Amino acid sequence: MANLSGRARRKNTYDAIVVGSGITGGWAAKELTQKGLKVLVLERGRMVRHLEDYPTAVLDPWQTKYPQGQLPKAELDAHYQVQRRTGYTMTEYSQHFFVKDDENPYTEENRFDWIRGYHVGGRSLTWGRQSYRHSPIDFEANAKEGIAVDWPIRYEDLAPWYEHVERFIGVSGQAEGLPHFPDGHYQPPMEMNCVEKAFKSRSEARFPERRVSIGRAAHLTEPTEEQLSLGRTKCQYRNQCIRGCPFGGYYSSNSGGLVAAERTGNLVIRPNSIVTELIYDDKLGKATGVRILDAETRRDEEFHADVIFLCASALNSAWIMMNSTSSRFPNGFGNGSDQLGRNVMDHHLGVGASGEAPEFADMYYSGRRPNGIYVPRFRNLGDEATKRTDYLRGFGYQGGAGRPTWDRGLGKHGQGAAGFGAARKAALSQPGPWSMGLGGFGEILPYEDNRITLNRDVKDQFGLPTLSFNVTMRENEMAMRRDMQAAAVEMLEAAGFKNVKGHDSGYAPGLGIHEMGTARMGRDPKTSVLNAHNQVHECKNVYVTDGAAMTSASCVNPSLTYMALTARAADHAVKARKRGDL
Amino acid sequence: MLNRRDTLRGLALAVGVASTGWAERALAAAAPAPALSWTPTALTADQARLIDVVAELIIPATDTPGAREAGVPQFIDRAVGDYYDKAQVDQLLGGLARMDADARAAHGDVFVALTPEQQVTLLTAYDQEAGVARGQGQPHFFPALEDMVTVGYFTSEPGATVALKYEPVPGAYHGCVPLSEIGRAWATR
Repeated sequence: MANLSGRARRKNTYDAIVVGSGITGGWAAKELTQKGLKVLVLERGRMVRHLEDYPTAVLDPWQTKYPQGQLPKAELDAHYQVQRRTGYTMTEYSQHFFVKDDENPYTEENRFDWIRGYHVGGRSLTWGRQSYRHSPIDFEANAKEGIAVDWPIRYEDLAPWYEHVERFIGVSGQAEGLPHFPDGHYQPPMEMNCVEKAFKSRSEARFPERRVSIGRAAHLTEPTEEQLSLGRTKCQYRNQCIRGCPFGGYYSSNSGGLVAAERTGNLVIRPNSIVTELIYDDKLGKATGVRILDAETRRDEEFHADVIFLCASALNSAWIMMNSTSSRFPNGFGNGSDQLGRNVMDHHLGVGASGEAPEFADMYYSGRRPNGIYVPRFRNLGDEATKRTDYLRGFGYQGGAGRPTWDRGLGKHGQGAAGFGAARKAALSQPGPWSMGLGGFGEILPYEDNRITLNRDVKDQFGLPTLSFNVTMRENEMAMRRDMQAAAVEMLEAAGFKNVKGHDSGYAPGLGIHEMGTARMGRDPKTSVLNAHNQVHECKNVYVTDGAAMTSASCVNPSLTYMALTARAADHAVKARKRGDL
Repeated sequence: MLNRRDTLRGLALAVGVASTGWAERALAAAAPAPALSWTPTALTADQARLIDVVAELIIPATDTPGAREAGVPQFIDRAVGDYYDKAQVDQLLGGLARMDADARAAHGDVFVALTPEQQVTLLTAYDQEAGVARGQGQPHFFPALEDMVTVGYFTSEPGATVALKYEPVPGAYHGCVPLSEIGRAWATR
């Protein structure tokens, strides 16, 4: 740094740097600033301010530019070849919260659906908001089964941090008292509708071990003083969350963590700052900062800090580490184990069943509940009764019942009824028949050869290397999928639903948008990248607290665990820094 | 075109248009097509006038507004201008041309000049023909037009708030409410 004047260096020096502003970056920023550290948050994308930058949040159906907010095919073909794969992300309502694929290329040795948003708040603006704790059996499974490596922590280590996170973000849900589905701190649960209630009582009568609960969702149903003071209010049941919530009804970095961090006066957010590498000082034996590429000026710049938190998402945090080579780390930062970029996991989905409930034709609902029902895992719980011989681990179901509205009339011509006229208009002005669906979310095991690698042959718009993906499903996952479909059919049939149909619409890795595992935690530096506190084994002042840290995937939605790991790691970092250990 | 005309007549007879209740209601509701009150930007005036008439037959005014009042023809004009790809535009405009050609062949005048009964007979034949095409995996202009009119109508302000029920900010969720208390389908999910 000989060419950097002392003053410039001081100007660019903070106590801590947080890379990324999504669901974990927001938490790192909040915890570190509230504990008194001066924090710089580096975000590769543009600024998105809560309320101000949700341009579609209150659009009525007749105010969209295009029919139903659907984008023209030419635009989808040109920019969103990957982002369109979910079927719901690429609309006029939310396109500004997802990347353009042509500007952000990657290589699919095997298909990988990498759905992402580069802006302040990241995917915390568009997440599914389901918030479950990993259970004790999740943390023990690798060790018990001899899979991959053991988690270096247990449920008890994380439990207080789950509670800490739940109290701040606000989670509505129902305590169930199941050991394999730990309860948290909940605001009042959302209501099930008639058909879901009937499903619950009838299915549980036949399958008591398959509990049917309301989804645990990061929505405020009884906001606390703290949440209100941040400007958040009760969920208004609009179900337009993906556009950004004008009520702060669901948790996002933008409405929560970043607001709390800003109020300490200790936060600086620098958007358009692509962190390209960690700077490692051989003499000091630690990282001294990060190098960025300013996406607007296209100039490099360096920032310095005692502590660095990588919260850039599992794949991009791994990318930064792989791109940070030095004489100390020739194969990527902290990668003495050669585990960096390996063990890519997600949750496999797209399989389940649905059925109809004609006996409730005179009942309906009001409000648009941004949440469904949840059936926690009921396989392989450690006892003989739930043990499967055909696969390890398990799955949960998310689902719900509803009545289709007018758009059930689309694409239905030539199936008997006339496609036009007053009778059709009258029919479509009434709700259609009740149906209920269950969709599985299954655990994917960590496989060393499910990996991403740095690809220096394919460059992005900034001339930076890109990622190459080779991630596939294996026998364990395929066997689980068969059971996911069969058990869903079984439950709907037991509950008396009509016209029950199983489905498996297929799944490609990534589509769960829960990518994780690329810098796993573990006890041994030879076989893992991070230690029990999310510190890089080989460089203790760098913490990685996003999905990269996950040693196994569980089958529950992971964001709550990422947030809890982040808060726990931030507490550790502040104490270690105070002791002079970093 | 002789064969097509015979086919259309045959289909219309086979489905017994005159005896079906919905058709009578549609005919009763159909008013003479007024002149266009707006200026199309992507369609020609003749195309817009034809779409105006067909849209109102697909979603007629009843106890709630019809497609015309809901601005569906303008909605389709906008879609032709900035949303449809070339194949969709070609399919729509080809369909419009065919409707006039069929109208001329059957009755000696363009579609909009026919009686409502004659118009409904033609649409019914297209609907049936589209069912056959669907079974053979072939595209057909008429279902695409019916769908577009349906989308335009139910996402319009009159469609969403009068024909359906729309609540931008529900404020609460009630999971078990008698349908009779709500009365209509919700416009959005």
